[in-house]
Amino acid sequence: MEILQVENLSFRYPKADQNALEKVSFSVQSGEFVVLCGHSGCGKTTLLRLLKKEIAPVGEKSGQILYRGNLRDVQFDAGKVGFVQQNPESQVVTDKVWHELAFGLENMGLPSEVIRRRVGEMASFFGIEGWFRQRTEQLSGGQKQILNLASVMAMQPSLLILDEPTGQLDPIAAADFIAALQKINRELGLTVLLSEHRLEEVFPIADRVIVLENGQVLLSDSPKNIGARLSEISKNHPMLCALPAAVRIWQGVGADLPCPLTVREGRDFLERNYTCRGKALPVPEIPNEAECAIELKNVWFRYEKDLPDVLRGVALKVPRGKIFSVLGGNGAGKTTLLNVMAGLEKAYRGRVSVGGKSIKDCKGSLYRNNLALLPQNPQTVFVKDSVRADLMEILKTMEISENEAKKRINAIADKLGISDLLCRHPYDISGGEQQKCALAKVLLSEPKILLLDEPTKGIDAFAKKNLKKILFELKREGMTVIMVTHDVEFAAECADICAFIFDGEVLCADMPQKFFAENSFYTTAANRMARGLWKNAVTCEQVIECCLEEGEKQ
Amino acid sequence: MRAFANVHPAVSMTYFLSVLLISMFLPHPILQTEALIGGALFCATLKKRGRAGDIGFYLILFVMIAITNPLFSHNGVTILFFLNGNPMTFEAFLYGISLAGMVVGVLLWCKAYSEIMTSDKFLYLFGKAVPKLSLVLSTALRFIPSYLRMSRQVGRAQKAMGLYAGKSLTDRVKNRMRVLAALVAWSLENAMDTSASMKARGYGKKGRTSFSLFRFRRSDGILLGACIFLLALPIVGAALGVTEFNYYPRVDKIETSFMALVIYTALGLLSLLPFILEVKEAVLWKYYRSKI
Repeated sequence: MEILQVENLSFRYPKADQNALEKVSFSVQSGEFVVLCGHSGCGKTTLLRLLKKEIAPVGEKSGQILYRGNLRDVQFDAGKVGFVQQNPESQVVTDKVWHELAFGLENMGLPSEVIRRRVGEMASFFGIEGWFRQRTEQLSGGQKQILNLASVMAMQPSLLILDEPTGQLDPIAAADFIAALQKINRELGLTVLLSEHRLEEVFPIADRVIVLENGQVLLSDSPKNIGARLSEISKNHPMLCALPAAVRIWQGVGADLPCPLTVREGRDFLERNYTCRGKALPVPEIPNEAECAIELKNVWFRYEKDLPDVLRGVALKVPRGKIFSVLGGNGAGKTTLLNVMAGLEKAYRGRVSVGGKSIKDCKGSLYRNNLALLPQNPQTVFVKDSVRADLMEILKTMEISENEAKKRINAIADKLGISDLLCRHPYDISGGEQQKCALAKVLLSEPKILLLDEPTKGIDAFAKKNLKKILFELKREGMTVIMVTHDVEFAAECADICAFIFDGEVLCADMPQKFFAENSFYTTAANRMARGLWKNAVTCEQVIECCLEEGEKQ
Repeated sequence: MRAFANVHPAVSMTYFLSVLLISMFLPHPILQTEALIGGALFCATLKKRGRAGDIGFYLILFVMIAITNPLFSHNGVTILFFLNGNPMTFEAFLYGISLAGMVVGVLLWCKAYSEIMTSDKFLYLFGKAVPKLSLVLSTALRFIPSYLRMSRQVGRAQKAMGLYAGKSLTDRVKNRMRVLAALVAWSLENAMDTSASMKARGYGKKGRTSFSLFRFRRSDGILLGACIFLLALPIVGAALGVTEFNYYPRVDKIETSFMALVIYTALGLLSLLPFILEVKEAVLWKYYRSKI
């Protein structure tokens, strides 16, 4: 049975010169798991919000939204359609976990006993018992998002809509969240409509994928067919690079076989169809004698005297002019390491030198023209009400003329592709755009060393590709880039050297190909598929290259 | 501190109010001593850390108040000695001690109050009277820590760009102003998301109920009854003048009539109640342990 039917839905924001949505039609069957994907700014959020009457955006709307065959009317119950947004932080309303779970039920005016039972039910279904009485402030991002989901679920919706719910989560928390969604869908038969840009995990469990482009439905098909139909439309369709690794490899080799979705299927696909003569891709050597941009020797750090050490004897050499990536799980000390390098935290033992000079000796000269840090949340960089004003601000402190400043702003805006964003308010643009603008501001101080904290958090595949291009260009200009990240795929594609941090220690630093080829879990999806078939194939491109060279089995 | 912390907020609130009222408004040596001892024992069961330092603080406070009174008040008929030509009286000394006992006693009870009556209990009690208030306070309590965290993050981000990273006063003030400006924008943005999340969960509909985890159990009823009964006795006593006690011009004799003895016992029980509950629980645990 159709639970939701959208017919010819068009929408235009006030004062906008074109429609955000153009004649969108689709329907969702009861119990289906539907994934909505597309370029950021393609109208995903607008569409999802229109489906939830209470938070629908204001503007000109035409077309129909039918819920179980009926037009939604005034009495439509808020509890029937659950909605989870992207930012785990700002959705939490109250200060206690139990109160948050009860919030929606209180609004529905349910008696205490009913609320008590439903809250208990939800807490145990989602494994919240352990932190049921905690303050919401003490939860991690992943826990907050699970709490948001649980408190929506407590209202017993029959349709669950989620707008990029894992965008701000690290990969492990994101996988947990998706697993919880799958559990809801499988065990309760709840209909799920999810927009997502990290498709690796959701693709295999989705029943249907809807691709949105420029406010129109481009495709609506089962995940197995999406790859083929996208490449039918265009061989270089930008959406292709957002698909899971297995689909990308399948599409890259142009095989005429059923499309694999998971690592297991992808591996099977490669083993069955391609000859493997143990081809090994060449690994470039690290030049040993390269000058160090940053060097850490036996660095120890803890936040307070009584707290445990976060960094325990870190030793690290970052060669000049390379992209250096530090990988590691949650709480391994990645961000702390970056803050120590940036002089925001002081190591209590050991030596940190930037450009051969101890960090203690370069108090005023550490930042300008030397080192800059782009924090995880780009919003922390902006303090003015337009991007241009923000960029101007950093130049003002450098004592250069107005004309020169304008020139520099235009140059950096051209380079990062943000020229048309300059007049906008920094909060009115998408996550990926915010990041580029923040990067522009940071780069205006003309650093030689750029530190990036989780640069791929919350941005989609296109923005990632863009970021990669920017980083390569900065490297070509001689800049040293150090980034800490969870994003294995991004590190594999960008970095010259990857280091792994665990329990406050840097365990190994190597070329990405060697680094990932030697790890068996902490590695890219493409590498997990090609493991044992070809050596040192880490990225999708490399696996495709191997396939094409070795040829199909007869 | 499990036993008394787990009783229903209405009961603990009634309890604290009655003890505080009696120890503040019935300046009788026996009653004060009882309240003081009860408060001290209660506090002793509350927290393990920093108790030694606390005892020192309360002792010093006690001695200070007790000594100060006779220095300034020269009422009373029994002169002990002269200091700089001023008479030091026995009555003033005793009154000082009584005053000190009252102040320290009230402080101890207030400390216990703040440990037991956490914000959620307070909200639960007074949120009923003003339903919106409890939600407003709850969201405020939620917002403040995230605001502080964001302000730290913004401060660091600005510093790492080398903007006003200096230590001079002007730099610091300027930096604060900029961080504040950024925070206003951020909190507005955040508030949009929060309000969407509230609306999406049906906030603003009529007939909102208020849920809490607290349950009023039978034991709470018994405790409340006991509390009110034990409070009523000293109040009746005060009305009849049994608990009246004067220090000036001459210290009264402590009354030992039947009525007075009953009142002393009642208040003694009342102020020792949490301690007794605590000890009972501890003993029970010991007993269960030994059976395992």
